[in-house]
Formats: sequence, structure tokens, C-alpha cells
Amino acid sequence: MGTDANQPSIARTLQAGILAWILPGAGHFALGHRGLGIVFFSAISFAYLTGVAVGGVKTSVDPQGNRWLFLAEMGVGGYTTAFYFWSSSIRVPPGSDPEYISFFPESDVAQIYLAAAGLLNVLAVLDALSRAQTGGLPTYHRDLPPAREDPGGGRG
Amino acid sequence: MTWLALPPVLAWVPFLNPIALPAGARLWMFLPLAFCIALVYRATRARTARELPWPTVINFVQIVVAMVLIAVGFYALHALVLWFS
Repeated sequence: MGTDANQPSIARTLQAGILAWILPGAGHFALGHRGLGIVFFSAISFAYLTGVAVGGVKTSVDPQGNRWLFLAEMGVGGYTTAFYFWSSSIRVPPGSDPEYISFFPESDVAQIYLAAAGLLNVLAVLDALSRAQTGGLPTYHRDLPPAREDPGGGRG
Repeated sequence: MTWLALPPVLAWVPFLNPIALPAGARLWMFLPLAFCIALVYRATRARTARELPWPTVINFVQIVVAMVLIAVGFYALHALVLWFS
């Protein structure tokens, strides 16, 4: 990288935003905030994958069945695209045993987890865009108390 | 667990077959989600990951306490409505 790693640019901002949208934390990781990238990845991936695991991919990622949930899930673009293709490939004949379909209460828990994960990643994408433009500072950096001395001197 | 219960467990495929939550687990599923929300929220307001642990715990406790208070409030409202009806 050159010396202008902290300089805001449209390409750098777009790269951070798109990476963060595809994979939670990837935008922060690309900006050099590896600690924050791992935190975003862990928290959002845990919520998303828990939602899909509890509800099952067929019920949980279904734009025809629940378009508003799918819209919220699209906050995590990479995961939702992959699970959408998986979900679309599952054929459930009418009247068959619904082993892939979840019902209350599992479907409710799954929806809450998935919607929360998608919307949390929207927050993470906006944060990555903001940090790309401010040279790594969070959105509300003016309201934060002064930073303590960092013995490592690295970015988080 | 008996041998009769083994085949369905072995046939379970993660993410494909839904997980049957035990009774009462739905309530406790709130806690990990609240922690994730607290963690992501604090991460958007931190300069580095080193600043995260204590504010995240405080935020998590605030969310849980607020949700419990809301639940107690609605329960009291519900009880009052039943009392006066």
C-alpha cells in the first residue's frame, strides 16, 4: 500500500462498503481495522447462522414466502445469496412430510435472528463507509472521550 | 437416548433441517442476540476493538434490564385490565 492508506477516496470507500456487505467485517478488515473486522464478523455471522440453523434454509431464506424478511436478510448480501441458491434448489412436493419447513416457535426465533443480523450488517456497512472517509474514525468520533495510549500502536 | 431415537438425529443436516427448540428455550434465545446487538452497536462507536469489552457488557445489561422492565410493565398493564374488567 502507498502512503495514502488513510486518504478518503471513492474507490476505497466503495470497496469497504461492498466488502462489508458481502461478508460481515470484511470492509473493516480491508481498512486495517482487523480487530473490529473480527468482531463484526463473529457477532453478525453468529446471529445469521443461528437464524438459518434454527429455522432451516427453506423457510428462512424465501423471498416468495416472506419478502420483508428477505429484504432485511439482504443486509448480509453474501450469506443471503448463497443460502438463497441453496433454498431454491430444495424441492418440497405438496403434501409431503415437511421435514425442511419450520413452524412456530422455531420460525419466529429464526426470523428475529435473521432480521437482526441483516440490519446489524447494514449498520456495519455504514460504519465501514464512514471509517473509509474519515481515515478510520467512527461516525460519532467527536462525541467520544479522548483515546488512551495504545501500547501496541496498531489499529483495532 | 434410546437406539430408536438415533436415526432422526443422524439424519439431521445443519441449516437444512430446522432445530426443534426445547420448551422454554425461546425466552433464553434472547440473550445471545442481545449480546450480538450490544457488541455491534459498541463496535460502531469504538476506535479500536480494545475499547469494546466493558462498554459492551454495560450495553448488554442495559438492553436486558430494559426488556425485563418493559415485560414487567406490560404484565402489570395486562393484570390491571383483567382486574378492572
